[in-house]
Amino acid sequence: MSNDDLHRYLDGELELDQLPEEARAEIASEAASWDRLLDTYRTTYPGSSAPSWLEHRVMAEIEALREPGFLARAWGWLLRPRPVRLSPATLGLAVASVAALLLLVRGRSPVPTGGVGVPAAAVVYVQFDLTAPQARSVSVGGDFDEWRGSYALEDPDGDGTWTGRVPVRPGLHAYMFLVDGSKWVTDPEAGHYTDDGFGNRNAVVAVTAPTT
Amino acid sequence: MAPPVERTDAQVVRDVLAGDRDAYRLLIRRYGDVLHAHAMRMSGSQDDAADLVQRALVQGFRKLRSLRDPDRVGPWLFRILANLTREHVRSPRRRDVPLHVLPEVPEERRDPEDDAAAAEIRSRLSRALRRLTPEQREAFVLKHVEGRSYEEIAAVMDLSVAALKMRVHRARDTLRGLLEEFA
Repeated sequence: MSNDDLHRYLDGELELDQLPEEARAEIASEAASWDRLLDTYRTTYPGSSAPSWLEHRVMAEIEALREPGFLARAWGWLLRPRPVRLSPATLGLAVASVAALLLLVRGRSPVPTGGVGVPAAAVVYVQFDLTAPQARSVSVGGDFDEWRGSYALEDPDGDGTWTGRVPVRPGLHAYMFLVDGSKWVTDPEAGHYTDDGFGNRNAVVAVTAPTT
Repeated sequence: MAPPVERTDAQVVRDVLAGDRDAYRLLIRRYGDVLHAHAMRMSGSQDDAADLVQRALVQGFRKLRSLRDPDRVGPWLFRILANLTREHVRSPRRRDVPLHVLPEVPEERRDPEDDAAAAEIRSRLSRALRRLTPEQREAFVLKHVEGRSYEEIAAVMDLSVAALKMRVHRARDTLRGLLEEFA
């Protein structure tokens, strides 16, 4: 029996009487075996019906996609964190200007770093990356932003690699990526993971304080 | 009074694009089962299948304006799902659920006499399918389990018909060997 003939018969390209007479019985038997096997597989395979909650979930997600109004978009624009690029000279000038302003207003030295609020040195910028070519948006969230997923990553060259730098205090932090605003994805490249208590894994990043 | 005429796919698509989001439910009802069955056969997991179908339907809604032929919304949604499923199956870090670990067969389909034999056949083919490459498995499932035409599958998989046939032939040859091995 020619294997090619069998494939052509199974593909419907040849009728049985177009096959060499001596091969017909064997090919017909082989084809019947396939038919029995596949028929049993098809008729007993479970899970062909979509779950009853599918429609509800899809519609809920679609509802959440509604275009926000002008005020909501403006508010979102104001609140959305975004990377700011400054040259060292500009940064130095800005710091000097603020310091001079404080001196003028208060007539005394500025509050020393660490006196009020978060010391600048206590925050480290951590780079997060995720390869997600199909994603329309990616952000990162974790215990450092109360899992709001508020730090948007960017894919400026459209190659599917989303990246961004996020201010985080030194220590161990659990985090995940929020893809398309609704799907939490574990970082596949993380060095460490921890169970989240709901059957999934959170990625963990260890952030060390910069040495001076 | 004449029964209400069911809206065609093209009419539903136009209604959704005109702002009637609720009309999208009709497409979910029409294509949800077909999409889910494919995702289930490819992923082997009901949870993953449901998640993939949900993602495909939401992505379909988002991209609906880019659909050129509204009458072809069914195949178009299927193609979105097939792409997501392929990516999911290829992912080395996906949850690794063996295809033969499947939920119980629904009660009404059972025939006591044939039950054991059918379960054995299903298990053998599921195990064998799992040993194929994801690309071969997808081609075989679409052709022989879902009964789609080569032309339709070639469009879904973005292959020429000749290349697709070669893939299906290789899948069949590999499966024959595996089924003998598992017998």
